[in-house]
Amino acid sequence: MSTPLILLIVFGIVLVLMYNSLVSKKNQVENIFSTIDTQLKKRYNLIPNLVASVSKYMEHEKSTLEELTKLRSDANKPNLSQKEKIALDKKVSQALGSIMISVENYPELKANENMMHLQRTLFELEEQIAAARRAYNQAVTDYNNALEMIPTNIMASLMGYTPKEWFEIDENERKNLDVKKLFDNI
Amino acid sequence: MKTSLSELTDFYYKELYETLKKLEERRLKLKKKIINYTLVAFVLITLFLWQFSKASLSAETLVFAFVLYTGTGSFIYKFLTRDFVSNFKESIIEPLIRKIDTNLHYFKDVHIPDHHIYASTLFDSPIDKINGNDYVTGKIEDVPIAFSDIHLEKKVKDSKGRTSWHTVFQGLFIVSEFPKSFHSHTYVFPDTAQSLLGEYLGSLVQNNNFFAKGKLVKMDSPEFEKEFVVYSDDQIEARYILTPALMEKLLNFQKRLKEPLSVAFSGKNIYLAVENNQDLFEPSVFHSLLKYKIAMQYVETLHLALGIVEELKLNQKLWSKK
Repeated sequence: MSTPLILLIVFGIVLVLMYNSLVSKKNQVENIFSTIDTQLKKRYNLIPNLVASVSKYMEHEKSTLEELTKLRSDANKPNLSQKEKIALDKKVSQALGSIMISVENYPELKANENMMHLQRTLFELEEQIAAARRAYNQAVTDYNNALEMIPTNIMASLMGYTPKEWFEIDENERKNLDVKKLFDNI
Repeated sequence: MKTSLSELTDFYYKELYETLKKLEERRLKLKKKIINYTLVAFVLITLFLWQFSKASLSAETLVFAFVLYTGTGSFIYKFLTRDFVSNFKESIIEPLIRKIDTNLHYFKDVHIPDHHIYASTLFDSPIDKINGNDYVTGKIEDVPIAFSDIHLEKKVKDSKGRTSWHTVFQGLFIVSEFPKSFHSHTYVFPDTAQSLLGEYLGSLVQNNNFFAKGKLVKMDSPEFEKEFVVYSDDQIEARYILTPALMEKLLNFQKRLKEPLSVAFSGKNIYLAVENNQDLFEPSVFHSLLKYKIAMQYVETLHLALGIVEELKLNQKLWSKK
């Protein structure tokens, strides 16, 4: 076999490997996003129940509750892009967070069994979502790195790949909730 | 765990003092006896060898003599100290464990059940021999916990067909229930590749490690990544288990240990293996039992092993665990 031919074959193999690694990185991002999507849906499904349980007690937080209901109906719209879903998730996390803090001001509500169950479910879901977000961010980092690094960047621009956005992780979220304090009255 | 380290140390020196003093007297007598016996054995073996080899010292005779000396020495030591060691464990180690929690049980002669060792899937090599002792089992704050000393070995045959035993792992093995439910297998190992080869090359090796268990999981804590490497067959669940808070706690635990720590999350349990390459809780005839350093070794190891429930917050059963 002549040298140019060998070089050509090696070059071909390198191209295939680069192409495959880019595709697998992109799919990894998509896969993890679909897991987040499922978890977010689970959380959206908790919202009506939550709103129903707390609205009797909460007078001052009416607007937040209304916003939550609206966000949920926004999230149920078909054909949302990943970017829109990420933005919605951020708003929902903030609204839910502020409601959970307000619960502290209503001792009667805090002691309610239904409410406690809701809080537990929500807390566990939040933990799962947080884990999935971190996995997503890592996958996006790997993908974006490949898009910027030589030589995969040339291949990626030919394939029309564009950088993807991260989930912003709230600093408050990084600190684990003090569970004992939250459920001191159990 | 309500008993603090200083309380435990106080207990060792105050309430166990009388027992310690008696044991200490016995230890000194035993030390004398062992030295005498060893000297006699040494003289006898030398005489025998001298007769046998007629004073012509070849390399082989020297090796044979060395094996004979150390073999006889360790046999005499083990034989003479058996009762002393057993007595020490019953009258010192057991009360210490009871002091920590009365619900704990201690078995000085057995090790943690084999199925825990296999279920952890922490050890790659085939395990042909499991030894160990000082098995502690029970519940701390309602969380099941068990640990013991273990020594795992595998049989190795060389080209000439001779078999020898190689240590796979020696150290402390702890198992406890993990508060979250999960289905994957996740492993945390000391990061040897990255500390040897640097960050970039090391991560290349880790990524393409065919012997690895599952895929490499890059964690989002730089300090944690520096110390450990994580493998899992589920990227998301690995992060569900290893929250930023747990990563921080594992790091702190590792700092206190100073010895390589491997962790596995499998089934519903967390398994921790601390590779210190020594048999723990064995009193030495040549060191005083009253010495602070020696005492602290026993007390600290117990406190560390039984402290993981609190340290890693395994008692927070908020998660609706099935």
